[in-house]
Amino acid sequence: MAAPSSRSAPEERLVNLLVALMATDQGLTKDTILASVAGYREQSESGASKDALEKMFERDKESLRGLGVPIETIGDYADPDDLREARYRVPNDEYALPEDISFTPAELAVLAVAGGVWSERSLSAEARSGLRKIRALGNDVDEPILGFSPRLSVRTPAFAPLQRAMEQSRVVSFPYLKPGEERPLLRRVRPLALVDYESRWHVFGFDIDQDAERTFLLSRIVGDVTITRETFDAALRDGAGDRAVAGLNEVAARQQALLEVNPGTEASLRLRRRAQPAEQGILVPYVDAQVLADELASYGPEVRVVEPAALRDEVIRRLQATVDLHADHDGEHA
Amino acid sequence: MSAARPLHATERAALILQLVPYLLGKGEVSVAEAADEFEVTADQMRDMVQKLTVIGRPGDGGYWQLPGDLFDIDWDLLDERDLIVITHSVGLERSPRLTAREAAALLAGLQLAATLPGVGDQGVVQSLLAKLARGAASAPADVIVAPGPVDDVRVTVAEALREGVAVSFTYQAPDAAPTTRTVDPVKVHIADGQWYLQGWCHMRQAMRTFHLDRVSDVALTGIPIAHGGEPVPDLFEPGAGEVAARVRYPHQIAPLLGDYLARADIVAEGDRDTATMRVADEQSLKRLAARLGGEVEVLAPAGARRATAAWAAAGLAQYR
Repeated sequence: MAAPSSRSAPEERLVNLLVALMATDQGLTKDTILASVAGYREQSESGASKDALEKMFERDKESLRGLGVPIETIGDYADPDDLREARYRVPNDEYALPEDISFTPAELAVLAVAGGVWSERSLSAEARSGLRKIRALGNDVDEPILGFSPRLSVRTPAFAPLQRAMEQSRVVSFPYLKPGEERPLLRRVRPLALVDYESRWHVFGFDIDQDAERTFLLSRIVGDVTITRETFDAALRDGAGDRAVAGLNEVAARQQALLEVNPGTEASLRLRRRAQPAEQGILVPYVDAQVLADELASYGPEVRVVEPAALRDEVIRRLQATVDLHADHDGEHA
Repeated sequence: MSAARPLHATERAALILQLVPYLLGKGEVSVAEAADEFEVTADQMRDMVQKLTVIGRPGDGGYWQLPGDLFDIDWDLLDERDLIVITHSVGLERSPRLTAREAAALLAGLQLAATLPGVGDQGVVQSLLAKLARGAASAPADVIVAPGPVDDVRVTVAEALREGVAVSFTYQAPDAAPTTRTVDPVKVHIADGQWYLQGWCHMRQAMRTFHLDRVSDVALTGIPIAHGGEPVPDLFEPGAGEVAARVRYPHQIAPLLGDYLARADIVAEGDRDTATMRVADEQSLKRLAARLGGEVEVLAPAGARRATAAWAAAGLAQYR
């Protein structure tokens, strides 16, 4: 057998704590844990202060909860706030995947595709970790689905803190730069859903100052997302994703750009896919005038905006700025 | 796979919780196979398995644990044959629930996977959505992927891929005359909502990438795939004989240039960056510059700079 190390690694202590909390029905008091669970016990015996050990225990509990471990605190019934005599346990059924969940071979093959879509490293690791837990159930797998490489990208740092705030039902604040405005405005929002719509990430939530639900483009969050201490009712999140998508669909149905496109061009190919024919040209639905103006400007002379006027002006502004920036025809010596 | 990186204690603990049910399910598994599944090195895997043997229930008297209170493994098999077998377990036998974040990451991936023609019918997807929600430790944050339209072109290309036959279509590249192509499909990529087909082009006698928005008149052929096994380049990998380009832009808009900057050399001067990169087609630069109107300046090649000015001027002339 390998020589026992004198000081155990923190992950050993964490897992020992979990095993102890799962092995008990009535729960263990903090004192019992510190005196008997390997990792704490040695440090108790070698004279570590009770205060330090208790802090370590609090941190370890948070770490385990962060891993999704449901740690129950059974308090004093007479005084629920008095935690001196509290007992801790982990109910096995809430810890483990439900025993009646199993996955068919076809489902596992599709899940394998789903687990591979994230380009961003930490989300990719989360997906693959979830997949490992499911594979450990030992269900049979179909032949892998080959030939498809679907990818989801997250290019903005706002995504992770927004997701964390949603999980904890906490209000966030962030500087948001609306197009056409000089300076960003600090928005205070209860974040309810992250939505990839037309391949752009949006956060849907309740804007506290506007007193209404709003959808924000993550690319226009121009500074740090701050997670505040203020919480909100998690029930607000119910069905939020569907509401957000329905809202965006509704905007797209309401906003239509009337465009003339030259046949056989890139603009014609790309725009006609999502357009309705109109008497003069085609009608293209859109959710964000700035995003559509970017695309239309890229087509140069292949497309002309008939209306709305605001969209036309945005396209003209981009084309004019491009002309101005390249006017000298002499970039190499600029 | 991502090479093994140093892990935090909590991450290592998370792996141990997944490792026990995995090993019990396997019965006997090689260190190499287990290391592969957990994306760690063989040494890290051996270390994790050895550490298991100091984990267990607290001893009954509150003091030292007896052997039966700890996990145990077959040491001879591990030392001599690099095989892992758990011979005694004291808990953790069942797979842990998914964390909210693991479930959210898989649920979002599933929504994208569900848009692939022929991958998982609606029944499979609905059943998976329900199972993932039920298997999560707490309610995952809503991370929604709204599906884009899936048209005949996408359905037919996916069918060709499944059937293993070539597909023929008209391809209209930007700033070029349309061509008729016959292609052995190898892979369908979806990136930023755009669909691409990679395959062996019978006309060019080489692997090529086709943007599916530029494909029309698509049809399955009866020609079995002959070049499916050839190596496929990365989606945006620059190949040989391409154009060296240089652009300048304010540093903060770099994310908007996306894949253009994937392999660029970037030099910062104040708050502006100058990127030198290879592009497939210098004509694409005028479209990039106009899209980010006034933010991106094309410096080189000179022809692309002139083309950019002319492109924007011609667009503008429509409104005069």
